[in-house]
Amino acid sequence: MWQQLHNRFGLPLTMAIVGLLGVWLILMVLLPQWQMIDYSFHPSLLPSERGGEKDVWTLANYVTFFHNDIHLAIFFKTIWSSVLVTALTLVVSYPLAYYLAKVATPGQAALCLLLLIVPFWINEILRTFAWYIIFAFRGPLNELLFALGLIDRPIRFLNGDTGVLVGMVYAYILFMVFPLYNAIESLDGNQIRAARDLGAGWLRTHRRIVIPHAKPGIATGCIMTFMLAAGSYAVPALLGSPGSRWFTQIIYNWFFEGGDWNQGAAYAFLLLALCILFVTLVMRIFKVGLGDIAK
Amino acid sequence: MDGRVSLDRVAMRFGDFTAIQPTSLEIQSGEFFSFLGPSGCGKTTLLNIISGFLTPSEGKVSIGGEEMIRVPVNRRPTAMIFQNLALFPLMSVYDNIEFGLEVRGVDRSARRRKADELLELVALGGSGHKPVSELSGGQKQRIAIARALAVEPRVLLLDEPLSALDLKLRQHMRTELKAIQRQTGITFIYITHDQGEALTMSDRVAVMSAGRIEQIADPMTLYRDPATAFVAGFVGENNRLAGHVTAADGELVTLDAGLAVAVSGRARQPLAVGDSASLYVRPEQWRVGTPDDLRLPFSGIVQAEHFEGAWLTLEVALDSGPTLRVQVPHVVTGDGVDAQLRVGGSCRLDYSPREAVVLPGAEPSPEAGEVADVAATA
Ligand SMILES: Nc1ncnc2c1ncn2[C@@H]1O[C@H](COP(=O)(O)OP(=O)(O)O)[C@@H](O)[C@H]1O
Ligand SMILES: [Mg+2]
Repeated sequence: MWQQLHNRFGLPLTMAIVGLLGVWLILMVLLPQWQMIDYSFHPSLLPSERGGEKDVWTLANYVTFFHNDIHLAIFFKTIWSSVLVTALTLVVSYPLAYYLAKVATPGQAALCLLLLIVPFWINEILRTFAWYIIFAFRGPLNELLFALGLIDRPIRFLNGDTGVLVGMVYAYILFMVFPLYNAIESLDGNQIRAARDLGAGWLRTHRRIVIPHAKPGIATGCIMTFMLAAGSYAVPALLGSPGSRWFTQIIYNWFFEGGDWNQGAAYAFLLLALCILFVTLVMRIFKVGLGDIAK
Repeated sequence: MDGRVSLDRVAMRFGDFTAIQPTSLEIQSGEFFSFLGPSGCGKTTLLNIISGFLTPSEGKVSIGGEEMIRVPVNRRPTAMIFQNLALFPLMSVYDNIEFGLEVRGVDRSARRRKADELLELVALGGSGHKPVSELSGGQKQRIAIARALAVEPRVLLLDEPLSALDLKLRQHMRTELKAIQRQTGITFIYITHDQGEALTMSDRVAVMSAGRIEQIADPMTLYRDPATAFVAGFVGENNRLAGHVTAADGELVTLDAGLAVAVSGRARQPLAVGDSASLYVRPEQWRVGTPDDLRLPFSGIVQAEHFEGAWLTLEVALDSGPTLRVQVPHVVTGDGVDAQLRVGGSCRLDYSPREAVVLPGAEPSPEAGEVADVAATA
């Protein structure tokens, strides 16, 4: 890469670019993260006690988590709900991606992509809030279902997990659709035709031909959606109920309500580490390598 | 096993564009039938209509006497070999061949037996466990054939399957395809823009141009008796001499083509005196002699020579203008006519009217690629 830049920009400009990149990486990314790691291994102290004899390295912040049943339960619920969100997003996105990649004419595909992307020009909070309005007890969705005669009294969508699930599927659908679309798009249409010609029905054609080909895309989409869902704050905060708290809300509470940054930092890293562990495990099970995903 | 295929006034339109003009034809069970035509003439479209990937705008398709229009692709008794083969790259050779059987619920051991049989047939026994990506071009070709034959189709459809292979392999595969067709007795419908393939393998060939069938005939008839100007120009090489009819005597018709002597040839359809018409003489139908051989009525100057191994191809400008392509056998000992012909030197020519063909119309057929094109003098 150095060589490429050097050939294109010459030595002084290349040094400047690389230098700026380094400064940005170190000041904006590495140092703050390092600071957080450092926090997470120290007890929460008053400013006067910092550097004193109580200021020692400790695992106490991490241990707290494993002794708190409520936090553990919320953590596992977060993982489970994120899996559910990922699965739902996949189920919704796959037909859409297949349609865009293999069925739609270029014009139709462009229109669909535009319609998909336009809502994402609006800020995530506002988009989520729109769902809040739709799901409200006396909101349009209940009115519609009532008018259609499907229900005889309004449903409290925002009470359980429904709101959070729907909100998240909607919030992260693009992160699933695009990798899927890219993967399916690269499949030679004759492969599908050959399978059909040899007698395969649609289900088998997808199971044996399209899905195996799209596996790296499916993995990429699922990992992105899962990580985003597990780390999401706005959607559960707006569409969730006290009974459907997300682990990120606990982290938030440590930082801004408990004022215990050290504890919060430890929780944040736990979430990150455990999610990475989980994803690695799932990739092992489905035999997807990192190389496949990079393709 | 009835592998008859019949098309009844089948037409295909894409929007305003007519890709296939209304076409009717019958293909016999067990026949090796080819569609030959330049790229874009509608061959793939026609094949897709037979296989069921496309529903024709009009007309009926039946296979073995059964109406097919409402039968979806996966239920038709056809199997297709795609231009790019479309082997499943993530599967082994066995899995590729067995795919169609698996779909039909054939159990594992019967599948494997069948796959082994087919691998023997295509001379690739023992390579079943290889991943497809490890095969050479020719081997992939054979696996594609085996995969299609595995489902025991009544009709095998082949869309220019040899076009990706190099010349030697292509020629070898022609022989092999023909042998497989004889051995299995399956109807083969083969499409190609390569006349060599169509002529060497087929029982009958349909020559297509711009969505229309120009002629259906066995290869020899196609070559000797082209029915239209397009076929005369597209199949093999031809010299065209355009003019108008001066005498029509039974089968033989005489034209004034603006040359020193009148030319004549066989007419496939009645022509009247005064009609405009063209005479077609193939390069190898010319007899070439030295300038002093006055028994030969045409004389000209050799403009260029192309050595092609067994043949020497000459471009000869007749004294009255037009340039002909003429082929003479190359004689190794150097005492044949070819040894006396030199670029810039003159020669005399003749042909036998019984071998030449006269077709109506003095206009060249577009696309057909005629070798020499001589306008009639007014
Ligand atoms: N789906 C389609 N929509 C519009 N035009 C098409 C379509 N498929 C084929 N054509 C047109 O029909 C003509 C015949 O195509 P094709 O059957 O593929 O020719 P060939 O196989 O003889 O080269 C071409 O001009 C092509 O552009
Ligand atoms: Mg084609």
